[in-house]
Amino acid sequence: MSISMASFSPPPTSFSVKPHFTHKPTPFFRLKRPFLLLSSLKSLPDNGAGVSASLAAAEDPSPKQKDLVLEKAMEGSAGPNGVATSTEVEALSKFEDPRWIGGTWDLKQFQKNGSTDWDAVIDAEVRRRKWLQDNPETTSNDDPVVFDTSIIPWWAWMKRFHLPEAELLNGRAAMIGFFMAYLVDSLTGLGLVDQMGNFFCKTLLFVAVVGVLLIRKNEDLDNIKQLIEETTFYDKQWQATWLDDTSSNNN
Amino acid sequence: MSSIAFKPFTGLRRSSAVPTTTNTTPSKPVIKFHVSAAKTSPKLSNRDLRVAVIGGGPAGGAAAETLAKGGIETFLIERKLDNCKPCGGAIPLCMVGEFDLPLDIIDRRVTKMKMISPSNIAVDIGQTLKPHEYIGMVRREVLDAYLRDRAKENGANVINGLFLKMDMPKHWDEPYVLHYTEYDGKKGAMGEKVTLEVDAVIGADGANSRVAKAINAGDYDYAIAFQERIKIPDDKMVYYENLAEMYVGDDVSPDFYGWVFPKCDHVAVGTGTVTHKSDIKKFQLATRNRAKDKILGGKIIRVEAHPIPEHPRPRRLSGRVALVGDAAGYVTKCSGEGIYFAAKSGRMCAEAIVEGSQNGKKMVDEGDLRKYLEKWDKTYWPTYKVLDVLQKVFYRSNPAREAFVEMCADEYVQKMTFNSYLYKTVAPGNPLEDLKLAVNTIGSLVRANALRKEMEKLNI
Repeated sequence: MSISMASFSPPPTSFSVKPHFTHKPTPFFRLKRPFLLLSSLKSLPDNGAGVSASLAAAEDPSPKQKDLVLEKAMEGSAGPNGVATSTEVEALSKFEDPRWIGGTWDLKQFQKNGSTDWDAVIDAEVRRRKWLQDNPETTSNDDPVVFDTSIIPWWAWMKRFHLPEAELLNGRAAMIGFFMAYLVDSLTGLGLVDQMGNFFCKTLLFVAVVGVLLIRKNEDLDNIKQLIEETTFYDKQWQATWLDDTSSNNN
Repeated sequence: MSSIAFKPFTGLRRSSAVPTTTNTTPSKPVIKFHVSAAKTSPKLSNRDLRVAVIGGGPAGGAAAETLAKGGIETFLIERKLDNCKPCGGAIPLCMVGEFDLPLDIIDRRVTKMKMISPSNIAVDIGQTLKPHEYIGMVRREVLDAYLRDRAKENGANVINGLFLKMDMPKHWDEPYVLHYTEYDGKKGAMGEKVTLEVDAVIGADGANSRVAKAINAGDYDYAIAFQERIKIPDDKMVYYENLAEMYVGDDVSPDFYGWVFPKCDHVAVGTGTVTHKSDIKKFQLATRNRAKDKILGGKIIRVEAHPIPEHPRPRRLSGRVALVGDAAGYVTKCSGEGIYFAAKSGRMCAEAIVEGSQNGKKMVDEGDLRKYLEKWDKTYWPTYKVLDVLQKVFYRSNPAREAFVEMCADEYVQKMTFNSYLYKTVAPGNPLEDLKLAVNTIGSLVRANALRKEMEKLNI
């Protein structure tokens, strides 16, 4: 959802379409009203932990609610400021979030039941990157970004990303394994233990495991072929000058 | 995954048919370099060997100097002696020593770099540099002129002329006849057509090499580098005193990086791309946007663009004509560095000619020139391959770039990177640290890709 500058020009009309906003699962803050957004947001950290804690404790819907509240506040003042800020919008738009302090996520604001809610940190960082992908902003020396994803512990990544996929792949492998064991048994009469003693069956098992690991989506087949070509492409380009030796004739 | 349609490598073959089978034949002939080839080539009875160097940039200047020092009658043909070439202008530390460059050629010594990821995570690198180590920023017109003048001092004939075409010899002992337009001031702006007979030619005439066309060297893929020179206010210039910045991201370039390099009294803000050349202006705007705070109030004093070869031409040598520098395509991937390799290849080729001709007393043949190619490939192939792998792994996508910037924060990475850049050797590091580095790299890549998958879920 790339938001173009042109859409900002008639602000009163865009604000009047209020129901329009509720449908979209908005990223935390929208580009359309950044100037006013900033002025109202900048006051938030001053309120201290109270406001931010309530923000953090709430679930996903809360950003939207907050968004609506701010939008209501801004609607009234949008008129006179709208035109004036249209030229300044590009310079002032920035990613803002009360938990994003000093160029990194303030982990104290992600507390849930006494320990850090890493999933929320991951969600927040995802939203920030999505925002920046659509609205790249300038870097600044006064305000550098120093967040490092390695502060999120490895088990949080595992739990969230690896385990579901591992479950999926293990399920696939189990289904294939059961079916193939039954099939081979019905064809050859070898039971499971005997199959494992046979070299051909062991090879089949290896192929099945590798296949399940590498080919997870339909596109993976093409991707792997392309990867293999890519690894040797540069080498071929360098050796080209040696390959057509036979064509050059001299002396 | 990159979105370019993957074109198979066809080299010099005209057909664009299925590639995978064509190059896998183990057809690489073993080229035996007989020293006897030089012994059997005739001694030049009444004259020295004549060699023409087409192009007077770093490659041509270095080649001409080495040839002249080796006692060979050298002709350096350059079309524009005061050419102010668009270029990043960075030279590694080893170039200063190897080519005896005077220190006043270097406008700035960059000792710090900032890498900025797509989500604006900024990492400072350079803390591992020793006090005497730096990346030199030069003005091309100053460097090129210095190398050319040094060649002239050593006896090369520097000719201001535009190379037009070359007649190939019909027999091996006939000379190459070069046709060029000589600009002499006296003849007026049009110049005068002149021919010159030489025994060997070094093509150092850059990315659009005419010598390469003359020997049917084939084409290469190239990137477009677009750069704006911006004069920024003095207080902002202080920040760039000895610091260069590198911006990565899909907004800045889909397969390269955007940069802010400090020059003598201004900064050069630019970006480049191979696959999306038509969008280069958009990428340039995005680069300027990312650096906006730091270049606010600056005035654009010059806009320039130039091609950067991505890989060597399929044929770098034919008969007694060899290509060096950008004409051959010796620009590294990942960093796009070309000045050092141009000068070094010019020197290496000239050394091969000097040796093969025994200081100009004998005729050279293709085998002597192939020695330069062999030496070059053996010495620098690891460097080029490593940079190619880095580019393929880390410039693919935004998550890869995020991982790249995260990895740059590691001290071991910085040490290895700078060592290999400044001294042009791929030195094996501590194996334990290498293992840790590999694990960390995979970790960074996995995390960044996981975040990207989540980002895609946010997309409606």
